[in-house]
Amino acid sequence: MSDSNFAIEVEQLSKLYSLGSTNATMRESIAALFSKNSKKEESFWALKDVSFGVKTGESIGIIGKNGAGKSTLLKILSRITLPTEGRVTINGTVASLLEVGTGFHPELTGRENIYLNGSILGMARKEIQAKFDEIVAFSGIERFLDTPVKRYSSGMYVRLAFAVAAHLEPEILIVDEVLSVGDAEFQRKCLGKMGDVTSSGRTVLFVSHNMEAVRKMCSRTVWLEKGQIKMIGPSSEVIDAYLSELKENAETVRPGERSDREGSGVLRAQEIRFSNPEGTHLQSGKPMKVEIDYQGDTSEKLTCIATLGIHDENGRRVGTLSTKLTRSLIDLGNGDTLTWEIPRLSLTPGKYFINIFLAHRTEADVIDWLQQAAAFEVMSASFHTESDEVYYEKDIVFIDHSFRVS
Amino acid sequence: MPTKSHVITKDQSLFSFSELTTYKELFWMLAWRDFKVRYAQTFVGLLWAIIQPSFTILILYVVFGRFANVQTGAIPHIVYSTCGVMAWTYFAYVMTNAGSSIISAQAMVKKIYFPRIIIPLSKAVVGFIDMGITAVILIVLMIFFEVPVSGNIIYLPIFIIGSIVAALSVGVLLSALTIRYRDFQYVIPFAVQLGLYITPTAYPAEFAIQRLPEWATVLYFLNPMAGIVEGYRWAILGTELPHMMSLWSVASMLVILVAALLYFKRIDGKIADYV
Repeated sequence: MSDSNFAIEVEQLSKLYSLGSTNATMRESIAALFSKNSKKEESFWALKDVSFGVKTGESIGIIGKNGAGKSTLLKILSRITLPTEGRVTINGTVASLLEVGTGFHPELTGRENIYLNGSILGMARKEIQAKFDEIVAFSGIERFLDTPVKRYSSGMYVRLAFAVAAHLEPEILIVDEVLSVGDAEFQRKCLGKMGDVTSSGRTVLFVSHNMEAVRKMCSRTVWLEKGQIKMIGPSSEVIDAYLSELKENAETVRPGERSDREGSGVLRAQEIRFSNPEGTHLQSGKPMKVEIDYQGDTSEKLTCIATLGIHDENGRRVGTLSTKLTRSLIDLGNGDTLTWEIPRLSLTPGKYFINIFLAHRTEADVIDWLQQAAAFEVMSASFHTESDEVYYEKDIVFIDHSFRVS
Repeated sequence: MPTKSHVITKDQSLFSFSELTTYKELFWMLAWRDFKVRYAQTFVGLLWAIIQPSFTILILYVVFGRFANVQTGAIPHIVYSTCGVMAWTYFAYVMTNAGSSIISAQAMVKKIYFPRIIIPLSKAVVGFIDMGITAVILIVLMIFFEVPVSGNIIYLPIFIIGSIVAALSVGVLLSALTIRYRDFQYVIPFAVQLGLYITPTAYPAEFAIQRLPEWATVLYFLNPMAGIVEGYRWAILGTELPHMMSLWSVASMLVILVAALLYFKRIDGKIADYV
């Protein structure tokens, strides 16, 4: 029997997905009926024998590489899909912030969508009525309450959607930062909401690639790998172990051979090269070039958003290069090399990792997303003066500056 | 959030009747949304809902009433077929919309839990708007042609319930099949198109009984709407009581209902994996 101290108790949970057969056509199914030696369906365990418990009021982090089973676990916990084996006992009401905006209809007004979305999320009409003013105030869209949401800016849309979700009062909150689309502001709101929930003694399950956030928010962390728990324990221990493995991985495995990637795979990064066009090694204050070779099955060029995220050794995001920042798209095809150029590198000497992300037109349509795809080392500094290597050890970046007395 | 504590396992049924009742509000909300989107905000939507049955009625009158000179006894052909169209319109609307409903609600289905069957079921409500519009046309025609309302009208609710059950059975079955086999998307418009002719909307079902061999007549009546359409006319216009053959329609409807529930239940837990 389950212990009532647990908000969530996961026991030997497994989920088997079969590949390729999900969208079978009638013809294939009928053919399969008649063929004697029907091909065994290819399948894989997205989760295998996962067991852990989350105490009431505890915040637990779920980390792991892409494809490790994090999303599958969340889908099972939120009852979107059923497990193949094992069981989960849930004590309390559950809501997840991955539901933001679910069921919004563009033709309906903001007011109507609050009611519709609220009831889809499981709120009773009376409950929505009682919280209506609060939701509207939180969203800051008072003036547009009776405007169809199709006329909203994407920011307004997200704010309204989040406002509704934030007024659910679940005993167990599931946050999937990986899936939450939205700007930094929105991500911050999500984290803020989580903080509120935790401090009010409710349970939070937090899936994230942001190690700093997990470290801060969660007392314990589960590290999933290939559908199994690789490590579970106090967050700092688990995160440190995870990061050191990622480093090893980034240094030893060629990007093209990595399987822990997400996206359609129409194009895949094969090779990543770092160089300093003016010298032999990477140097602060000098230019830096990152070249990524892409290969894939497509014969045409795809219109893409490309992003490159830089992390330091502690998993903290240091900066981002992205076509999105300049609101532009690039055309990329099989055999092309994507080159990023940094005219003057402002990172201090040390080791860094990059995540590379490629999506088709919108960020939701991921083509290839590889975390800790490669590592590079900034060897020496010549940022402020040509010959001097003086810098503060704790700094991550150099900031151009001057000073005067007056 | 209706469920307080629960256990998730592979055997767990994602669909229980007691749970459905706790999602009552969502059912009405989805129906209200469909109504709003379809009629309330667009004038064209409402206009279209009037134009569509009007033209169907007109064409059926020209083809069956004039060209083929179908005899419908004391009742003018146009009134006779309008009554048939009224019953058929509801069925066609609900079957079409329920059939494609889960595929259209993919985004929702992938992100949040609620009993999936609510999505096709909620389509049963808005179908009554279309039916109501045709009913107004029927009333106008009955007044114009001075056709009295039959005393059988008190039995009309039975046939209305019959069409709800028939439409939802077919709709739920199609919604589940469409998830598993995308090909069924193409079956739906085809079925609606054919159905208008193989259902006795614009001619008496008696034609089928007289002019088809017996086995074909049985096939004809396996269409659940065959008996129901005849029933509507009996209740409203006082035409002849539906033929005994209509029992085949009832039987077929019950078989489809059971098949729909069983099949839906079977794939219910896997919907998010398929869409």
